[in-house]
Amino acid sequence: MADKYNEYLAVNVLNEDRVVGFPSHSPLAEFRCANDRGVVQVSYRSLSRALKVHSNLAKHMLYDFHHKQTAKKPGSVHATYLIAGTCRPETSIQANEVNGHDAEDSVMQSSPPFRSSSMPQQEESVEEDVAVKLLLLAKEEDLEEAKARFDEITSVHIYSLEPTSLKDLQVLSDCNREIRSKYSSEDPLEAWKQYGTIQNPNVKACNLLILFTIYTDSIIEKIKSQATASSRTTTLAKDEKTSNTKPGDDTKPSRRASGSHTPQAEEAATPSSKKTTVKAPTLKRDKSDIFKSFAKSKAKLITEDSAGSAGASSAPESGEPSAAEDEPMKDVSEDEQEDDFVLVNSKDTEVANRRSKAEKAEREERLRKMMEEEDEPMNDAPSVAGMDDSQEQLLTQKTESQQSAEQEPEATTTVSGGRRRGRRRVMKKKTVKDEEGYLVTKEEPVWESFSEEEPVAKKVKMPTAAATTAKGKKGGGGGKPGQGNIMSFFSKK
Amino acid sequence: MASSAPLTTYASLISTFTDFLTVAIHTILYERAIYPQTSFLSARKYNYPVRQSRHPKVCQWINDAVSAVEAELLTCSVDRVAVVIYAPESLGNEPLERFMFDVSRFPVIPAGETTTPFEQTSGNVAVDIEEQFRATMSKLSVCGTSLKHLPANCTFTVTIELKDDEPDKGRLNAPIGHPQPWVPVPPNLQRSKGARKDGADLGGVKTTPVRAVEAGECVFEMWIEEGKAKQNVATRAEPSSGEVV
Repeated sequence: MADKYNEYLAVNVLNEDRVVGFPSHSPLAEFRCANDRGVVQVSYRSLSRALKVHSNLAKHMLYDFHHKQTAKKPGSVHATYLIAGTCRPETSIQANEVNGHDAEDSVMQSSPPFRSSSMPQQEESVEEDVAVKLLLLAKEEDLEEAKARFDEITSVHIYSLEPTSLKDLQVLSDCNREIRSKYSSEDPLEAWKQYGTIQNPNVKACNLLILFTIYTDSIIEKIKSQATASSRTTTLAKDEKTSNTKPGDDTKPSRRASGSHTPQAEEAATPSSKKTTVKAPTLKRDKSDIFKSFAKSKAKLITEDSAGSAGASSAPESGEPSAAEDEPMKDVSEDEQEDDFVLVNSKDTEVANRRSKAEKAEREERLRKMMEEEDEPMNDAPSVAGMDDSQEQLLTQKTESQQSAEQEPEATTTVSGGRRRGRRRVMKKKTVKDEEGYLVTKEEPVWESFSEEEPVAKKVKMPTAAATTAKGKKGGGGGKPGQGNIMSFFSKK
Repeated sequence: MASSAPLTTYASLISTFTDFLTVAIHTILYERAIYPQTSFLSARKYNYPVRQSRHPKVCQWINDAVSAVEAELLTCSVDRVAVVIYAPESLGNEPLERFMFDVSRFPVIPAGETTTPFEQTSGNVAVDIEEQFRATMSKLSVCGTSLKHLPANCTFTVTIELKDDEPDKGRLNAPIGHPQPWVPVPPNLQRSKGARKDGADLGGVKTTPVRAVEAGECVFEMWIEEGKAKQNVATRAEPSSGEVV
């Protein structure tokens, strides 16, 4: 098995002068190739996945192959090295200035993400010398120069092999995409031993649905806590955000339509606490959307949030949120963003304690009922489950309140500096493939933020019939069953 | 950019191809260092990192050139599209390299039927074509370093070669008229037809194949030709930077 690597590398790396199937009548008929994928570069990770060996062994294999080939025929194979080590800030700055070739060394961000280019700013603010951990990808011709940048080198190994020197090191990222697409079916908890991926010993296999629940509930909890701390309007705005983060999602419009957000805090709080019906499919849909938000960038979430806060309102209490309210909401959401991504589980504990026990008991019961419908064993994580229950209740509550309220959002506009900004509802067409393979095109109202030159601020109110929103929602729910939606997220990547 | 249903109609096929052509031209400009590398930003296309020029005039020029190619492609008269790199004025302004796209195998469609769906479209064509485009980009970026070095300040252009007249099929492709914006292909680059042999310079001094793409109806080939002039230029001029490729 170990000898296979020579064959594999010869086929994939040295195959550069043979090109995929030129047909016989073409002037280039003599060029044919077995390597249909047109692989040009092989990284140690793709080699380890392909040959099912440990990554470190793959690195050795790459080195060995490179060594042999350059001995036979110099320049036939080109290597890119990964150097890890520490360096002093001054050295790195000087190296940046001295180094005339811009695109050659790129600082990897996988491990300690200190970019040497950011050092100048640090230098100004921090007076003492801070040793910087640096991971550098260098072409073989620049190896010595790159090594000179380091004070202390902890490791050097070959990252990838390619037939000729790469002008643009970014093409190496294609190896990772290939790994993701070909080997995503492997269970990482088993594969890690084979491949040597870094593993946290405390990690437990967690069902996706529960994962979503934990995450969304933590957000909901946070919302609640901040709501009680600041204002209740914030709570519902966040609700909007968490359940409506992906723009253009066909289930979103229905929720936005029924979103409830008003300047009057008390009125807003009461509708939400009233609703109690449990609907599992709805929950799943929310989670899938939330998971999508999980992967989205912070910026997008923040814009969505501010947009949401500007746009939504409940029908009975219609009022235009003032521009002033946008700012506090934005700030709060930004804070929340930082927290969410870093600490999910720790917040659970904190926040759960703030709940009143009466509410908790009530919700636990309801949640237990719902959880019984689902398949995953809750035995291995009882404490988490306990919290999950209560949090899921809240989630369902909120979603229910949104749907059953069936309220029209208000498209709001704010004028600042001669530009009209805000959110408005636009009809957008969405084509989705449902589980039977049918393409379903739905035209649905979607919120979008806009910014236009406008001398006069207009209040644009677009009432939507409750019937259409219900239809839209059901159509969305039917077209994308929850579980399939979640998995499609993974497979796309 | 590409239509939502790629390759089901001729119009969408052309649009997919022209998107690819735009990306390919940007990549060629980057790889052959026609413009400084710092003037390119990294982008992703077909799930692959590519380089795109930042200069608005360059982008505008490329877009205009590609729309002109698209217009011709829609009339189904194009045989090949080439991106030609010329030596700088000081070294004679001769063509050094040609990046050829042979699109003669695109389907020939009557004018009114450009939006009619093709009869059989194999499943999953979208993914297939993306993968092939990715492979082509990857090949192109590697080929760039295997070609001989170019002198500094080269210029480039995009040319279209039309198909010959096919009177038996009722197609008169040769755009002869007055005033004539088209020029006939120089004899040393003409291809064989009947008694006429291939032009002497066809294929250049060295041909480097890039890839043959085949996905549904979209079938084309790409290769790189290096011309005689390049050999002469190489001996006369010094390479611009010290790197030996």
